[in-house]
Amino acid sequence: MRKASTCISLVIVLVMCVAGCARQAGKAKSARTSSRRNNNQCAYVIGMSQCNRGEPWRVQMDADIGAAASKHPELKVLFKDAQNNTATQQAQVREFVAQGVNLIIISPKEALPLTKPVTEAVAAGIPVIVLDRKVQGDKYTCFIGADNVLIGRKAGEYLVKVLHGKGKVVELKGLMTSTPGQERHKGFMQGIKGSDLEIIFDADCHWLEPDAQCEMQSALARFPQIDAVYGHNDPSAHGAWVAAKREGEGREKTIKFIGIDSLPREGIRYVRDGILSATFEYPTGGKQAIDVALKILRGREAPKNITLGTRIFTNGNVDKGGEVL
Amino acid sequence: MADKQETSPQMKAGASQARRNSLLARRALHALGNFRGIAALAAVLLLGVIFSPRSGATGKLMFLTSRLHSDTLFENAEYGILAVGMTLVILTGGIDLSVGSVLGFAATLSSLLMIAYGWAPVPAIAVTVMAGALAGSINGFLISRFRVQPFVATLAMMVAARGAAKWISGGIKVQPGARETYVLQGDSPHFYTWMTSKVGGIGLEPATLLFIISIIVMLLVVRYTGFGRRLYAVGGNEEAARLSGIRVASVKIAAYVLCGITAALAGVSNAARLQLGDPEAGFTYELDAIAAVVIGGTSLVGGQGGMFFTLVGTLIIGYVNKILSINAVAEHFRLLAKGGIIVLAVLIQQRKKT
Repeated sequence: MRKASTCISLVIVLVMCVAGCARQAGKAKSARTSSRRNNNQCAYVIGMSQCNRGEPWRVQMDADIGAAASKHPELKVLFKDAQNNTATQQAQVREFVAQGVNLIIISPKEALPLTKPVTEAVAAGIPVIVLDRKVQGDKYTCFIGADNVLIGRKAGEYLVKVLHGKGKVVELKGLMTSTPGQERHKGFMQGIKGSDLEIIFDADCHWLEPDAQCEMQSALARFPQIDAVYGHNDPSAHGAWVAAKREGEGREKTIKFIGIDSLPREGIRYVRDGILSATFEYPTGGKQAIDVALKILRGREAPKNITLGTRIFTNGNVDKGGEVL
Repeated sequence: MADKQETSPQMKAGASQARRNSLLARRALHALGNFRGIAALAAVLLLGVIFSPRSGATGKLMFLTSRLHSDTLFENAEYGILAVGMTLVILTGGIDLSVGSVLGFAATLSSLLMIAYGWAPVPAIAVTVMAGALAGSINGFLISRFRVQPFVATLAMMVAARGAAKWISGGIKVQPGARETYVLQGDSPHFYTWMTSKVGGIGLEPATLLFIISIIVMLLVVRYTGFGRRLYAVGGNEEAARLSGIRVASVKIAAYVLCGITAALAGVSNAARLQLGDPEAGFTYELDAIAAVVIGGTSLVGGQGGMFFTLVGTLIIGYVNKILSINAVAEHFRLLAKGGIIVLAVLIQQRKKT
């Protein structure tokens, strides 16, 4: 009996492995043939090292880069995912250099450990575009990043406007030991400065929707009047909305929920469905990276630092692609 | 010397009196043993009342309103359901690290079936529960038949189930309209709303009731059935259990299967609570479940403890979180206070080993 069951399970495992390998091999084969085909037409190969594709926002960044590059048949982008591992990302940059790509785009996991590989790439004559997070020093070709303080400030100014300068706000913060969390809070405080907007309840929700939902339940139980909820990301704002709806007193309709990031399948959809009053874009810079890459590759001058603006999506402008702030 | 001889009979009497007293005290303590957990919970609740802010609407102490308590139960239902299954496994002397990932897989699978394929809730939940049972049976099989350490076997399942959750969802949150191919494009399934809305007359949500019912059922199973007694026997002394004719492997497999099923049910509640299936859901929840079991007083060594302790442990953690949350305590103090209160609760309920 025991032998039989052992055999059966071993066979199952074996079959699964073989099936998996066959599939992988098939994929790899098709990838090889397609790259050979493309290489004949491609003038430029760009290596893109993403620090962690586990985050939806970074998946979006890769998608933006891919979409922008697909409009230029002379470009071919090799995407690599460092899976949130600094050592892997260092290796990826060195591989790109060894491979002799024409340009590298990197969205680094950490500044310090990736400074050296980036410096080496630039020294080897390969231009490097750094996205979202900086590396140390100035041995890179171009940095493109968004400004969280600015986005927080715009969010604050928006609430001041729609609440006519007076109201009670719940702030559901992102992880406050992270820079984006700190900056989105700092900017928001600048934005509501001088108005009668008051933060009556705040909590660190670690960017997580379940945490935001629990904290909002506490806020709802404690305060009979809440005019707005400022979520440091869209899922937090959505979690707060779910909590208000569950309360069953219709407060999800009277409270203004706003969030940040504006991913197409998250924030923008929530605005379209009337859940969020507004979401503020934290741009990935993917499209701009390709624009700058083309300039550099064609030998034209590119700026050293580019700070991206933000867009606001509200029910009124969401179908027109938002409004630049 | 003379003095001593004279007082000797009195001393003897005194000593025997003291012995009797200490015996009484020990008996009382022993009887109280079961209630120490409740004492710890009562201490936490007392803290809650002392530090309770007043509701802005009515001016009442928030901690004395029924709403706060139903909210707390609702927020902790998932941890509670996980802890029920975890208790069974820990009673056998094992551990299940995979429950958080299985929860995430179940949340994703049930949402996919209902949102992407438009299934009715009952078949969707049935399939999800079966998937949870399958994960549990793989754990149990590896542990009892192949002698893999529970820590290692369930660690492997923890990684694999998370991978499976990301694979079936394509790495995105499963919610209406997340892909054009999904059957539901607008509202979330009615089941989600039903699961998280208060049932008339009781004032509790079906998600909360699922927790309460599962803990009551398992409490009865553990206390009054042969299976329950075999769990303790296996956890207390595996070799003795084997020699007395208990089929140790089947008992263990059953415990892991039940644990997988509770993880799947917690996953369905999670999806209903968030109104979406998040492949990342349940991350590190296994630690919360283990904490609830241990704080209740069930021993990680196995064979000691019970389901009632788990209920107490879940409530202690839940109320500590709620007290810190309604007072909007800053994050760093929250973590410090949580650590302190957990140690305090364990010290109060810790039973003397005599």
